[in-house]
Order: sequence, then structure tokens, then C-alpha cells
Amino acid sequence: MKVAYYSPLPPERSGIADYSAHLLPALRERLDVVVAQRRRRAPKADLALYHVGNNPDAHGWIVDALRKRPGVVVLHDFVLHHLIAGLTIGRRDGHGYLDAMEREGGVVGRLLAHGVLDKRIPPLWESRPEEYHLAGEVLDLATGLVVHSRYVEQRARAAGYEGPIWRIPHPAWEHAPVTAALLEGSPLIGSFGNVNASKRIPQLLEAFARLRRDRPDARLLLVGAVSPGFDLDRRLQRLGLSDQGIVREAYVEEDRLWALMAACDVCVNLRSPTMGETSGSVIRQLSLGKPVVVSDVGWFAELPADVALKVPVDDGETETLYAALELLARDDAVRASMSANALELVRREHDLGRAADLYVAAIEQAAGGEAVANAVLGDVAAAATEVGIEPGSAEASELARRLAEVELGR
Amino acid sequence: MRIAVCAPQVPFVRGGAEIMADTLVDELRARDHEAELVTVPFKWYPGTRVLDQAFLWRLLDLTESDGRPIDLVIATKFPSYVVRHPNKRVWVLHQFRQAYELDRTDLGQFSEEPRDRALRRSVHNLDRIALGEAQRLFATSRNVAERIERSAGLAAEVLPHPPQELPYRNDGYGDFVLSVGRLDRAKRNDLLLEAAALDPGLRVVIAGDGPDRERLESLAAERGLNGRAEFPGRVDEAELASLYARCLAVYYAPVDEDFGMVPYEAFLSEKPVLTTTDAGGPLEVVTDGRTGYVTSPDPGELARAAGRLREHPDDARAYGLAGKELAARVTWDRCIQRLLA
Repeated sequence: MKVAYYSPLPPERSGIADYSAHLLPALRERLDVVVAQRRRRAPKADLALYHVGNNPDAHGWIVDALRKRPGVVVLHDFVLHHLIAGLTIGRRDGHGYLDAMEREGGVVGRLLAHGVLDKRIPPLWESRPEEYHLAGEVLDLATGLVVHSRYVEQRARAAGYEGPIWRIPHPAWEHAPVTAALLEGSPLIGSFGNVNASKRIPQLLEAFARLRRDRPDARLLLVGAVSPGFDLDRRLQRLGLSDQGIVREAYVEEDRLWALMAACDVCVNLRSPTMGETSGSVIRQLSLGKPVVVSDVGWFAELPADVALKVPVDDGETETLYAALELLARDDAVRASMSANALELVRREHDLGRAADLYVAAIEQAAGGEAVANAVLGDVAAAATEVGIEPGSAEASELARRLAEVELGR
Repeated sequence: MRIAVCAPQVPFVRGGAEIMADTLVDELRARDHEAELVTVPFKWYPGTRVLDQAFLWRLLDLTESDGRPIDLVIATKFPSYVVRHPNKRVWVLHQFRQAYELDRTDLGQFSEEPRDRALRRSVHNLDRIALGEAQRLFATSRNVAERIERSAGLAAEVLPHPPQELPYRNDGYGDFVLSVGRLDRAKRNDLLLEAAALDPGLRVVIAGDGPDRERLESLAAERGLNGRAEFPGRVDEAELASLYARCLAVYYAPVDEDFGMVPYEAFLSEKPVLTTTDAGGPLEVVTDGRTGYVTSPDPGELARAAGRLREHPDDARAYGLAGKELAARVTWDRCIQRLLA
């Protein structure tokens, strides 16, 4: 079976590009995969697999291809507002944006979209993305969905998606032995990714500043670019962290990323709002056996409690975060236990071969499942008709119920 | 208790699974349970027939019979475990092997066409649902249990079943290697014939009948084994016990077999078993140099292993006796106690 594979790939810098670079070799061991390329003719294949995320630069061309040929969508983010804004407003198609917002939010949505176009209100993909996910068109075009979390599965169902959904855990990287970077800190706490409000950096800085009052040797490693408009320096100054306690690295290459993660005692991955994304960064940390602290939202909330301390996004967020950091700083046994559990979770759930096998199963079901379902339904219906069972009768309902129980004929 | 034992039947075909289901009913009755065999014909081809026929089991209502409740169902082989019952226990002898380990082999059924690939996945899905409903899930061997774990993510308790009742005995270690079972390609009797072709001192008796018989007889003739390869066909219980009693050793090396009763039958006759490294279930009881020989699936190696036993009958006896100790532990008392617990 031949599969056309649509995804950003390195050297593009995106988590989904890294994901595909990691997955593709394992998939190619199992299937005939042809990688589609931007601005090239769509490859011929039995089925097309589209990786869709919220970044319009990385995924706009993939949605364009999906519009021409429906197929299985790997939905890396559930909230696609930024993507749709890029595909409409970004292409000078204001009407497209109005229509997308009206479809999801009715008249109110359309009016809000007018407000965005007229620059009377802040962009909704920044201010209210969770309220207007704008995933509707992509869901309409998807003949099946691959998701990484129950959270995205549930949101897709809540949005009315009725097609098949396969949940496939994010595969972990099989990394070579990593030499930890030489960094001070006892403990050394790491945060990886863009430095901004949605990564809850303000809350992290406050909790860390408090931790440092009693633990002056503690260090916070911030790895990633500072987002425009986020004044990190001012915040550090206000918390007395300007000169000490913070270690900064901007965008780092993969090898350096692993070395920095390996150096950490604890990794913090906070997020709100969530777009439904899975964090490749968390997967890397777990595969290194790092205890992690996460926000109690979306996919992060689905991590087992014995590998992740979860911080609710509420009024007590900073307090809870401080308590989590203090516990992990204080208790070696808790850290050791979480570390062992993380390694076991990665082995059990996030094995690359397992993920690739699940993809093959999903692809095979997507490519031929409907034909099989129709054939079974046809056979059962024909047999029922032969013995006088009428459509709509109690007997026909019983047959339908039994078929549904074992997921045949749908 | 009123217990329905569920097993499919392939009309005019009878093998180990059918014997096991019949015996289970007899053994339950012997322990004062009301037991009945419930069976539905099974045809797995062409196309989606495998699912249609599996679905027939879903339509059965075994919650009661003649106004009295059925307390328990014990389902055995695919697709009988698709049956529904509030107290369903499944003792898996076989899943639909063409959808699993036999896929993409000469013995497979599903092509590379998208519809066939999806059909195979539908069988997996059906297994996941039907086996997942079981109140308790048993597998006849570790091999079967591991396959269920891999494919459906379900944990099954390993519960081997005893072989058929025969007047087992030992009349010495004769000059022939015995193969017993239905003659189909999966049983790999051609490997035994090729081994005999390499060793003029090796005589083989291949008991049983099946679709591969003609090919095997032709192969024996082509290899000039006249007189050294016998095909007595299907034999009765007395004759089978006699063959076991007189043979040097028993050959049993199907491809990735689920379980197979033949090694236990051999052991109860104090005979060693010759098998191969890829035979699956038999490897759980056949240990190289302890209860028989395990070779690569290569005629030369197999011939050499049979030759060693011929030259060292004391080894054959010692291995057979060691196997008998294993077989003696597998009893119906223990099986039924665990099934009904």
C-alpha cells in the first residue's frame, strides 16, 4: 500500500518537522511512503496522510492539498485558529475568515471577526483561541483522524466529528547516551521552549524566586527565544533574579538540547491556554528519566501521576508550582521514583516501533475499512431480507445493535 | 452449574481443537455440571465471510435455555468467543491465525489490497472487543497469551490443556520417527521428509489426513523414500496409541504453533520430541537436550538430531521420561478448577 505523506520536515524548525523526521524511517520499514513536497504535484498513492498543526507557514500548503484530496489527518493541535487566520487573512481573504468564524460562532463569531479585520479588537487567535478553534473545515475534510491524546479526541467528537479516530502516542526518540552539560544548580530546574506568558513563565519565575530564598544554590535554566512583547529582563529584575539564579540559552541545536535536559534535576513544562498539542520536549525529558512538572491541562493532564506533578491553572497556580518544586528539590526518593516511572512509561507507551505499527493499523483501516464495512453490512442486510426482516423493524434494530457492539459495519 | 462450551466447527474436519472442546464438556459433566457443546459452522472465505460468520455468534442468546439460565459460557476458538454472555470466559486455543502470524506467509489469506489489509485489521478489532468482554481470559500457551497481549493489549492467564485420552504406554524405542496431525502445510511435514531423504537410516510415519497429503506423498516418492515414509492416513485411537508406544521419537514442528497436544501425547508415551526453533508453542515444553531436540528448521539438522536419538536410545528414554513429568502436571482437575474459579 502506498501512502502520500504530507508534513513539514527539517530543516524547517518545528516540533512536527522533528516528529516526522523521527517517524518516517520506521514507517518506511512497514509501508511504501512517498513524501509530498511543497509546490510539487501531489504524489499518487492509495491514501494521503496530512500532518496538521497550528502554524500557517508550516501547514498552509498541507491544508491546500487536503482540500484537493480528503484523507487521514494527523491533528497535532486541536485549536487551528492561527492556521485558519493565516490561510484567510494572511492571504488577503477576509471573507474566508468571516465565514470560518460564522460557521463556528454564528453571528457573534462573524461580528468578532469583523472586529479583528478592522483592528478594533486583538487577534482572537491570541486572545481567545480556545473559544474559537476553527478546526471545522479540517475535520470536514478528514476521512479519519490520528490524535495523540484523549483530550483532542474528545474535542473532535464534541465538535461533531463522526469519522474514525486513532489515538497514537507520540514516539520517543532513541537517543545515544547523552553527556549532560556542565551547569551549576542544586537543584537545576529546566524550562524549554519559547519564553512567554502562555508557557506560564511569569508564574514559574515567581515560584522559583520563592524557592531560591531557602535554596540559594537553585538555578533555573530557560532555554528558548523570548517571544515579542514579553519583557523577561524586567521581570527578572523585579524578582531579584537578574544577576543570579537564572541560566539563559536561546534556540539550541538538538545535541545541545539533549545535553541541557540531561543536566536538569527537574523539568517544568507549563502551558495555558493549550491548543491540544503534545510536547516533544516532555517526551524527550521523560525518555531521559527526568521528573517533570506540567500544567494540568490538555495532553499534559493525561500523563500518569507517578511521572508528572500537575499544576492546575487557577488562582493558586504559583503556590502549587512552588510546592511541587520544593518537594522535588527536597525529596531524592520522589525524584528517583518519578525517574524510574518515566523510563518505564516511555518503554511501554512511547516506543517508536509501536507508534509506527499503530500508524500502519490506522492507515490500513482508513484505506479499506469502508469497503469492508459495506461488504459486511451488505451480507447481513441481504440475509435479513431473505428471511423477511424489514428495514426499521425490531429485528433489524437488533441486528444493527449487535453489529455496533462489535464495531462491524460502520 | 449450567455451562455452555462454545466452539466453531468446520464440517467434515476434526482436529485437536474439536477433541479438546468435546473433552471439556465430558470432563465438566464428570464433575456434576450440566455442560453442553454449542457450535456453529465456520467458513472464513472468500472476502469478508470471516466477519459475517463471526457475527453469527453475536446473534446467539445463551443467557438461558428452555427457560433456565445458563450460568457460564466457556468459548474456545475464533470466532466462538464473539458470543455474548454476562459470564463469558474464554480459553483461547486459536485466534484467526491467518490474520496474525500466518499473514504474509504462504499460509496467509489476505492480499496487499487495501480492502484485504483492512479486513485483517477488522479481525484484530473484533478480537480486541470480544476478548476484552471476557470475565476471565485464558490462553492455552504462553505463545498464544503473548500474541493476545501484543495484538489486543489484553493479559491472558496461561492454562495448557491435557491431551486426549488414549491408552498411552511405552513399547520401546523403534526405528521410526512419528508425525501426527492434520496434513496441511502449516504442520511442515515436508521438512521431516527432506530430513529422511538425507539420512538413509531414518524411517518416518506420518499419521493423519488433510489437504497436503497428496503433495507429501509425491514428495516422498520424488525423494525415493519408498518404504521409509509411510502414510497410514487417519488412525483410530488404539492404532495411534500403538504408534506412539513403538516410535523412536515424535516430530512436531508446525510454523509458530499456538500450542499443540502432540508433545504432551508423546511425553505420556515417554517419547522425546523433535521440534524447531520457530515452532512457537511446542518450545514451551520441548527443551533441547532435556525433553527432546530443538533444531533450526533445516532438514540436515533435523536428520542429525534423529540420528543421535537412534544411536543413543538411552537419551531418547531419558528425554521421554522428563517430558512425562511435565505432562503429568497438566490435568483436567487443575484446568477446570481454574476455569470455574
